[in-house]
Amino acid sequence: MTPAEIALLAAWCAALSLFALAGGLLLSGIDRKLAAHMQARIGPPIRQPFIDTVKLLQKENVVPANAIPWLFSAAPVVALVSSVLVLFYIPVASTMPVLGAYGDLVLVMYLLTVPALALVAGGFASGSPYATIGAQREMVTMIAYEFPLAIVVIGVAWRLGAAGISHPFALQSIAANPVWSVTGPLGLAGVFILLVVLAAITPAELSRIPFDTQEAETELAGGLLVEYSGRNLAMFTLAQAAKTLVLAAVIVAVFFPWNLSSFLAMPGLLAQAADLLFFLLKAVLVLFFAVTLVRVAMARFRINELVSFYWVYLSVIGLAGIVLLMADVVAGPLAGVGV
Amino acid sequence: MSGESKKAPYRVPIGPNHPALKEPVMFTFEMEGEVVRDVDFAPGQAHRGIEWMGMRRNPVQIVHLTDRICGICGVVHSLSFSLAVEQIAGIEVPERADYIRTIVHEFERIQSHLLWAGVAAHELGFDSLLYLTWRVREEAMDVIENLTGNRVNYGIVQVGGVRRDIVPEQHAIIEKCLATYEGLLDTLLSFFLDDRTIRMRCRDVGVLSRKDAVELCTVGPTARASGVNVDLRQDYPYAAYGDLDVKAVLPDRYLGETHGDVYDRIVVRLLEVGQSCQIIRQCLSEMPAGPITAEEKLVKLLATCKKATGEGIGRVEAPRGECLHYVRMEGKDSPASWKVKASSYSNLMSWIPMLRGSQIADIPIIVASIDPCLSCTDRVAIVQDNRRSILTKDDLHRLSAEKTRRLQG
Amino acid sequence: MRGLPLVPELVRQLFRRPATNRFPAKYLPPSMRAFLRDVQAGRATANPPVPTPPKFRGKIAYDRDSCIGCMLCVRVCPAHAIEFLPDTKKIRVWVDQCIFCSQCTSICPKSCLSMTDAFLLAGEDRYAEDLIVE
Ligand code: SF4
Ligand code: SF4
Repeated sequence: MTPAEIALLAAWCAALSLFALAGGLLLSGIDRKLAAHMQARIGPPIRQPFIDTVKLLQKENVVPANAIPWLFSAAPVVALVSSVLVLFYIPVASTMPVLGAYGDLVLVMYLLTVPALALVAGGFASGSPYATIGAQREMVTMIAYEFPLAIVVIGVAWRLGAAGISHPFALQSIAANPVWSVTGPLGLAGVFILLVVLAAITPAELSRIPFDTQEAETELAGGLLVEYSGRNLAMFTLAQAAKTLVLAAVIVAVFFPWNLSSFLAMPGLLAQAADLLFFLLKAVLVLFFAVTLVRVAMARFRINELVSFYWVYLSVIGLAGIVLLMADVVAGPLAGVGV
Repeated sequence: MSGESKKAPYRVPIGPNHPALKEPVMFTFEMEGEVVRDVDFAPGQAHRGIEWMGMRRNPVQIVHLTDRICGICGVVHSLSFSLAVEQIAGIEVPERADYIRTIVHEFERIQSHLLWAGVAAHELGFDSLLYLTWRVREEAMDVIENLTGNRVNYGIVQVGGVRRDIVPEQHAIIEKCLATYEGLLDTLLSFFLDDRTIRMRCRDVGVLSRKDAVELCTVGPTARASGVNVDLRQDYPYAAYGDLDVKAVLPDRYLGETHGDVYDRIVVRLLEVGQSCQIIRQCLSEMPAGPITAEEKLVKLLATCKKATGEGIGRVEAPRGECLHYVRMEGKDSPASWKVKASSYSNLMSWIPMLRGSQIADIPIIVASIDPCLSCTDRVAIVQDNRRSILTKDDLHRLSAEKTRRLQG
Repeated sequence: MRGLPLVPELVRQLFRRPATNRFPAKYLPPSMRAFLRDVQAGRATANPPVPTPPKFRGKIAYDRDSCIGCMLCVRVCPAHAIEFLPDTKKIRVWVDQCIFCSQCTSICPKSCLSMTDAFLLAGEDRYAEDLIVE
């Protein structure tokens, strides 16, 4: 790469990071507003997460006496950086992933666990029993949803591969070839099931009710985050916001990759803007069904119930989806549709 | 997670301030992984010395002080205090006053149970249900405000009767509220009982066997949910309950079986909301005309109370169970002795069998399930040289023997 | 929806007006004091609070002239909120102490005490001028 290219790339990354943070906070604000309305409340203004972050940044940053200081302070940085980093590998609107050439969906999957691991490390480093329990629960949760998540990723990529698409794990090809378009009726059902599974994993990834056992306000008083304050807490909040956007982007990229500009002819810049807005709209919709509606409609799961939910129910459902996809591949040529 | 159970037990303190606890109490849990092995708790964090204040005031003043013992049971304490004083002074409460007392008392039960249901939902992380129940609870609060002039701490009961009549225009308001609740009850029952997540979190959680419930002297919905057929309104009727047909609400009458778990406590409390509506309706239609107080002139009432000597006990079925006031008057302005036993006092010990063997996740809902009211319960706290001391059973026995001797002169 | 009976209600709620009363403003103003000052100066309008019912027990009002200094109100006030002023043979009510039981208004032989609708009494100064009635 020439220096100019590197500079351009850096600029892009900076812009994208800013977008990850701002977009994530915006999505959190919308989530809170919608949840409030469903509960017949007015709720905070949509800009509230921004206000909170600014305020947190001004607050004192307390490191508890029996914490491991360096780990305690490093965890939020790692969480924030890794959450933002994931977005570099995911297509947003009509822009292809910046670092797409260097990583695929599998990498994204692994990167997504880094903020969670940082949280765990920070929790253990806090030296509080609440945070320790929270950290243990976070680990259990992670292990629990990792398997159904793998099912979704492999299922989608395998189907794309079976349809003859090269690099089926690369997000560019996934986004360019909506998985719905390569499947027959059986496969549509299978894809839909995988979508549901991925949506069901989202609340756990974002530690939202009903899968927020690691923070569980009424049980652990904030669990993992109980000792965090000020700048460190702000970083975790931002990481959480970025992760919200990232997860929405993953679901959108894998299942709803269409862009407005491919349907309506528009001049370049306008098309970009329209695509971005359309992307945000899709993200809001995805998050509404995957997170907001779910978190207001249920009680919190116990950790053992959470594990059996993911390991047993969701895995079985996911496998059923894969079976449908396989049946689709077998039946496809016979019926003369699909492939 | 079998690996976890091999880990050494560790301690988790919860309280005195913790988001799960709406009132201060200090728990220490011995944990093994996610499972509670043993638990100890220390109440007495919210002692306010109300009895001490009362013994420096006359009964007419105390009656309004009693309102402040609890922020939710605004009528229970003043009612049982009045019952005790009326007993001592030989005051005959007019029938209409008894009916009005009953109506306000039942409205209080409605709002208290709905409040509890909301808190229970919140402890489960189900905030939508919290907002919903507290929203519908407002109806009862509005009616109470209309009847008494205050939303909480109603100040409606006075020794010898009540301070405000229910006028015909208010009947319509009450009727409307009752109709709302009767229409809502099935929906509420369905929201709580048909919800898979609530059932999952509450069924067979925090079980209190019938035997334990009896042995630990639990009262109110906590005891009834374990199948113990106790309800002062049925067993020792006071106010207008003698004329009414009140039967204790037991879970097996609705579900056909009794588990004695958190779920059953939800069932009992929600069904009692419906029961209260029926009682109020019956009271409204049977309420006789007449005076609302035995002594309208407060000055005369003060004189009567001053002359009174003797001791009296007032017992009332509060939303949380039996509430008891003991009063002793010796011909002075203020009582010689006044003792309050709030309903939660009898229920606290049931926490231990409920919590043992449960998971951390269940602690909040189990603690909340007896609807503890600690500021009502905390009647003593010993702090000396900035250190708290714990009184053992022997200490308490010695102290009470000493006090009895002192009272006997 | 079976198993999650609340969902239809939640979705319905999404399209309804929230139940919250927007008092004094829809969102918390950055500075409540500045907002209240603006309201007083007519630069902003506050949404009204939920109306009080008839015979509401609010802040005490005192008719000084008809008071005969009998001290009955002092005797029945549970909160010791009423101070007797021996010089003038009048009383002073410390509203920050008052528990709004309305006992003084019931006993006063001259009916010179009454309860108003005022309930916005929160403040930082217990001895503020508007919290002392005399
Ligand atoms: S309303 Fe009650 S507390 Fe207030 S001044 Fe009158 S008697 Fe005292
Ligand atoms: S009772 Fe009435 S007349 Fe007597 S001192 Fe009080 S305010 Fe004055």
